[in-house]
Amino acid sequence: MHFKFTKFATALIASGIISLPLAAYANDSSELEELRALVQQLDQKVKILDRKGELAEETAAEKKKTTPVVKASEDGFGLESADGKNKIRFKALAQIDYRSYLNASNQTANIDGFDFRRIRPSVEGTVFGIYDFKFVPEFGENKTSGISPTAAGAAISKSSSNSGIVDAYIDARFKPWFQVRAGKFKPYVGLERLQAGADTKFIERSYVSNNILPNRDLGASIHGDLFGDKLTYAVGVFNGVVDGGDNITSQDFNGDKDFAARVFTTPFKGEDSALAGLGFGISATTTSTNGQANLSSITGLPDYKTPGQQASFFTYATGTSANGTRNRWTPQAYYYNGPFGVLAEYAQVDQHVISGTTTEKLSNDAWHVTASWLLTGEDASFKGVKPKAAFNPDSTGWGAWELVARYQENNIDGAAFTTSKTFADSTKSSKSAESWAVGVNWYLNQNIKVATNYEQTSFKWGGGGTVAAPIDRPDERTLFTRLQISY
Amino acid sequence: MKKSLLAIALLAAAFGTATPLTAAAKDISLLNVSYDPTRELYQDFNAAFSKFWLAKTGDKVTVKASHGGSGKQARAIIDGLDADVATLALAYDVDQLQEKGKLIPKDWQTRLPHNSSPYTSTIVLLVRKGNPKNIKDWDDLIKPGVSVITPNPKTSGGARWNYLAAWAYAQKHDGNDEAKTKEFVGKLFKNVPVLDTGARVSTTTFVERGIGDVLLAWENEAFLAQKELGVGKFEIIVPSLSILAEPPVTVVDKVAKRHGTEVVAKAYLEYLYTEEGQEIAAKNYYRPTLTSVAKKYEAQFPKVNLVKIDEDFGGWQVAQKKHFSDGGTFDQIYQK
Repeated sequence: MHFKFTKFATALIASGIISLPLAAYANDSSELEELRALVQQLDQKVKILDRKGELAEETAAEKKKTTPVVKASEDGFGLESADGKNKIRFKALAQIDYRSYLNASNQTANIDGFDFRRIRPSVEGTVFGIYDFKFVPEFGENKTSGISPTAAGAAISKSSSNSGIVDAYIDARFKPWFQVRAGKFKPYVGLERLQAGADTKFIERSYVSNNILPNRDLGASIHGDLFGDKLTYAVGVFNGVVDGGDNITSQDFNGDKDFAARVFTTPFKGEDSALAGLGFGISATTTSTNGQANLSSITGLPDYKTPGQQASFFTYATGTSANGTRNRWTPQAYYYNGPFGVLAEYAQVDQHVISGTTTEKLSNDAWHVTASWLLTGEDASFKGVKPKAAFNPDSTGWGAWELVARYQENNIDGAAFTTSKTFADSTKSSKSAESWAVGVNWYLNQNIKVATNYEQTSFKWGGGGTVAAPIDRPDERTLFTRLQISY
Repeated sequence: MKKSLLAIALLAAAFGTATPLTAAAKDISLLNVSYDPTRELYQDFNAAFSKFWLAKTGDKVTVKASHGGSGKQARAIIDGLDADVATLALAYDVDQLQEKGKLIPKDWQTRLPHNSSPYTSTIVLLVRKGNPKNIKDWDDLIKPGVSVITPNPKTSGGARWNYLAAWAYAQKHDGNDEAKTKEFVGKLFKNVPVLDTGARVSTTTFVERGIGDVLLAWENEAFLAQKELGVGKFEIIVPSLSILAEPPVTVVDKVAKRHGTEVVAKAYLEYLYTEEGQEIAAKNYYRPTLTSVAKKYEAQFPKVNLVKIDEDFGGWQVAQKKHFSDGGTFDQIYQK
């Protein structure tokens, strides 16, 4: 309407329809006055419409400042205040596996079948601009935490429960270099552990993450980014968990706390350099912990799982418990360049143990190198893969295809295996596990992934025989396939 | 030797006195959140006060100003705009700072003379040169074909004064018949083509955009338009009856306390009542309350028969509820 009036008035004036006839024919002054009044009226109407349009725009702009924004995208679904200071997002991670144990006759606990590995609807958000929160429950089988037949404790160690709280924390971002996180979360320790469960290159994480370093714990951390995000640091205090453990209750195992610290740098980040994707760092934890040998639930010691997740290849002997200092340290690095990526990590734990009156400091370690190559040319990164062309059966898009390979080891201190089976029985527990794995990941789009992994593990000892001549545990060969949706 | 000792002592004394003074001098920043047409007034006043305060204390005061529709400004302060002082169009908006924001004490209006209104104004009619629609009083505004410009009473304090002035006229004219009064004001607002958010925006609509035949304006705004924005293009029509507009001022105690500006904020408002402050107000066409200055500028301001908000409308709380709250008379007549 506004446009029409403007055009009409302009046309009238410009074409001279009004003025020329006036000059040529309108001798009657009253007619001239009428036409003048008409033009003035039209001029007023146009101006009023103009102004009304402006006011409508102002009102709309004003409304926009206070109208919440509804968001729905591949990054999740949520609501956000107009100023962006308050937001809530609903996310989810679902992983449905089919797990085949190719030598099942030797692994009685392992049964082929479908498995809900992770079913995690989550809520995260921000209030007052700087206070982030995250709440992640678990409805899957939670086998990452494994089963600990002899030593696992409800309060401190690995869980076999199939539901619970995975993450529940608040993160206050006071300054980029000074942030405080408190609640239950991944302690800033392991590099692969800090990678999101949806983004790991293999279906199961390495020995470093699952058997040596803490999984999740209750506590508080101060952390931050320095020098334009090129250096991150974190220090924290936690209730403490056994190696690979997930703190599933709000109770501490004992009064002593775990202290954790980490520095990680990406010195060439953002630069036009082949080293732009290089990151490396080191982290450590320390505590003093004393278990109770007569209570299997609180020995303070872990058991170590095979990559197949169902069985433990190393378990401390009955009567053995934690006896003082436990230190862990882990150098770690990644490198990404174009479609290529590699992540490597070493972790060692020094654990004082006691059995009867015999004490020992045992040093167990693990390491892995995981490499990946995106066949379809996407850039590899620590975070997920975003295909250049999402898979679409009606078009040429095939998503992103990635080949992955990993070698990893887990070694137990030889001092654990005495002839009197003081700390471990070499006929039942292995001294080492060595695994190699290959796999293919198909990212149909940013949210859907299909992964297939083959992994073969050989063990030293733990397969029977005698203490003097222990037999090796049979190889574990697994073929896992996963369908994953995450947003 | 003695001379040297004396010189050292003098120097020490000089430093001893001068240094603390230098160290004590502060840079102070004040935010005055005000209504729409006070831009020019506070531009002049802020400069004068800064000069005054520097001479008095040695501290440099920088006064920042924020202007907008009075109601909107009050809401902004309640929502967190860090105003050290509020100089709004009407007491109801300042009351909101107490009622909704708990930012000032209940007795805020008794803290300064004249109900905390250092200057007053009234509502007049501004028409185009030659008064082509022959507008002389309020009843000319309801005639068909007369286009009236006034801001939105929901957001503008000036607009609420306009509305009440028209209401008061109609009430008197129609012998206190409320239905007829409402009908009169309804007809008037049917002649309003656009509702701007504040008085200054309405002035711009009338003066610069050339919309409308008559602007309902603060007297000071009308003078400004006539003498400075469009010299020779407008005429002021003083209606037979109008309203005494008393724009109040207050320190926003909680904010000033947090900023540590309580003393200077209080002094800033008190300075409005001084002879110099009143002169500045008068020069910006606000009616001064200080008798000596009012007398000096007597000729500048036409004599008008004025109703008062407390006497004729029962105060701002009552007037706001009856006329401008949701479902009030304004909503009733403007929806029709």
